Amino acid sequence: MAGGFSKSDIGGILAKQGILIAFVIFMIGFTIANERFLAPENVMGVIRSSAILGVMALGVTFVVISGNLDLSVGSMMSFSTIVVLDLHDKIGPARAIPAMFAMTLCLGAFIGFLVGYLKLNSLIVTLGMLSAIHGLTLTYSGGKNMDIANKGETWFAVFGQGSFLGIPVPILIFALLAALLGMVLGKTPFGRKVYAVGGNGVAATFSGVRTARVVFTCYLLSAFCVATAGLIQASRSLGSQNTVGQGLELEVLAAVILGGASLLGGSGTIFKTIIGVLILGFIQNGLLLVGLQFYAQYVVTWVIIILAVWLDIAAKRGRLLSPIA
Amino acid sequence: MTLRTMLTLSTAMAGLVFASSASSAEYRIGITQNNVGVDSYQTTYDKAFKEAVEANDNVEAVVLDAGGDVARQIAQIEDLIQQQVQAIIIWPTNGEAVIPAVRKAKNAGIPVIVTNSNIAEAGFDFVKSFSGPDNITQGSRSAEIMCDKFKEMGIETTAQVVQISGQPGYTTAIERQKGFDDRLPEVCPDVTVLETQPGDWNREKSQKVMEAFLVKYDKIDGVYAGDDNMGVGALNAAKAAGREGIIFVGATNFAVGYEAMGKGEYWGSIYQSPVDDAKAALKTAIDVLDGKEVPFLNYFDTPKITQDNMSDFTKPVF
Repeated sequence: MAGGFSKSDIGGILAKQGILIAFVIFMIGFTIANERFLAPENVMGVIRSSAILGVMALGVTFVVISGNLDLSVGSMMSFSTIVVLDLHDKIGPARAIPAMFAMTLCLGAFIGFLVGYLKLNSLIVTLGMLSAIHGLTLTYSGGKNMDIANKGETWFAVFGQGSFLGIPVPILIFALLAALLGMVLGKTPFGRKVYAVGGNGVAATFSGVRTARVVFTCYLLSAFCVATAGLIQASRSLGSQNTVGQGLELEVLAAVILGGASLLGGSGTIFKTIIGVLILGFIQNGLLLVGLQFYAQYVVTWVIIILAVWLDIAAKRGRLLSPIA
Repeated sequence: MTLRTMLTLSTAMAGLVFASSASSAEYRIGITQNNVGVDSYQTTYDKAFKEAVEANDNVEAVVLDAGGDVARQIAQIEDLIQQQVQAIIIWPTNGEAVIPAVRKAKNAGIPVIVTNSNIAEAGFDFVKSFSGPDNITQGSRSAEIMCDKFKEMGIETTAQVVQISGQPGYTTAIERQKGFDDRLPEVCPDVTVLETQPGDWNREKSQKVMEAFLVKYDKIDGVYAGDDNMGVGALNAAKAAGREGIIFVGATNFAVGYEAMGKGEYWGSIYQSPVDDAKAALKTAIDVLDGKEVPFLNYFDTPKITQDNMSDFTKPVF
C-alpha cells in the first residue's frame, strides 16, 4: 500500500491519537462555519472560561488515577463560591479566602477519610456528598443569592477579571497549578504512588505503599483545586446562585476521561486532562457560535464522551474493534 | 429495612406530626412546591407563604417541597390526598407529569390550585384555578420597554437584539419568549432579533452565552433575558468585553438587577414579587374554599420597572 501503512497501523494510530484528530477536525469545521472562531479574543475567552473547569479537572485527575471517582466537585465548588462571597463582606477578602480554603479542605478530608481509610466505595460516598454539600450550601446561604455589596471597590475581582501581561489571571492560575500538579504527578515519589494505587491497589499495599494515605491526599488535592475554582468563579461575577457548580462534576469527569485517564485508575496525565478540558471548552463555544441550541450541545458532549471511552478501550487492546472485551 | 419502607415510614411519621398539630383552623390546605432553595425567588415565596398562613387564623397548611423531583411531587400529592386536606396548591415541577396526580386529587373531591407556573393544557379540566404571573404579558411588556427605549434613542429602525431565554422546556421560559417574540415586531417592526439561546436561569451560563454572542455579532443594541439573573450575567460579559451602550431588559426583577439599574447599567425589567405570588396563591385557595367565583386564570399584576420609575418600587429582597 502506498505510504507503507497497513490497515492495522492506521487503526493503531487512530486508537492512540483519535481524540486529537477528532479535535482538529472539529476545530477546522468550526473555523469554516464561523471565521471568528479562531479570533484571538474568542480563543482567549474560551480558555478563560475553561479555566474554572480545568482547575477542577486537575484535582479530579489525581482522584481518577488513584482508581476512585469524585462526583462531589460540582456542589463543592458552589459551596466554596457561596462561602467566599458571604465572608468577603463579613470579614474582608484577605481573611475570607483562607477561611473558605480551610472549609473546603475539611470537606475534602472528610471524603478522603471515608474513601481512603474506611475503604468505602468512592462512587457512593461522593454521590452522597454531591447532595449533602448542596444541602450544606443552601443551609448556609438560606437559599439566597450571594452578592458582594460594593462590586466596584474590591481587589477581590483580580482572580477572575484581572489580567497580567495581557493574559487573564484565571488562565495564569490554571497554567501555574497545572505545571505544579503535573510535576507532582510525573516527577515525585507521591505521583508514582498514585499510579501504583490506581493500577493495582493490592500490589501497592504489599510493596509498602500506604494506600489509604495516598487516596486521602488525592481527595485533599481535589478539594484544594475546587476551592481555587470557587475563588475564580466568585471573583469573576462577584455574586452567585447556589447552583453555580451544578452539573460540573460530570463535565469535569468527561474532560478527565476525554484526556485519556482510565476510569479504572492507573493511567492518565495532567497534560492529557488539559487537552480534554480544551476540547470540551472549544466544542461548546463552537456549537454556540454556529448557533446550535443547548439541547444539541448536551447530545454532542455525550457523543464525544462515548467516543473517548471507546478510543480509550481501543488504545488499551491495540485495535478499534475486538471480538472480546 | 428497604429504602422504600424507610421512606414510607418517614413520610407517615411526618404525616402524623402534621395531623397531631391539627388545630381548630377552618381550612387545611396542602402545598407542594417546586424546589425551595434553588433560587431566591422560591425561597422568598416559601417564607412568604408560611407567614401568610401564620397570619390567618382560619387556615393551617401542610407545606411540602418536591426538591425539583417530579416523582417526589407526585408522591406528595398522593400523601396530601390521603391526609384529606381541603385544597391542594401545586407549583409544578413538570407541567405534564403531574397531571395524573392532579386528576386523582380532583376525583377525591379536593380542589387543586396551580401556582406560579401553569400545568399543561391537558390537565386544565382537573384544576380549579391558576394563580400566578402572566408570563406572556411579561414577555410582551419587556418587548415594549425595549422598543420604547430604542425609540427614545432614535435607533428603532436599525437596532439588533439578542435573547437569552430560560430553561428549555420550562413553561415560564417558553411563555416569556413567546410574549417577547410576538410583541416586538408589533411595536418595533424594524428591530431584528439576531438569535435566541437558553441561559437556563443561570447567571454563569448566560455570561458564557453572551460572550459567544459578542464574538459573533459586532452590533448588538439590546439584550432581552428571561430573568434578571441571566440579564446580569449578560451584562457582566458585555462589561468584560468593553462593549458599551447595550440596552439590557430582563424579567423578574432581582436585587442584582435593581442595583444594576440604579447604576445606570441595566435598563429595565418586570417587577414580580414572590410575596405577592405566595399571597395570591393562598388567597385563591381560600376563595375557592369559601365558594367564591374564581377566574380560571387568576393573574396578579407584574408591572414594568425601568431606570425612570424604579424609585416607585422597593428593592427586591431576593
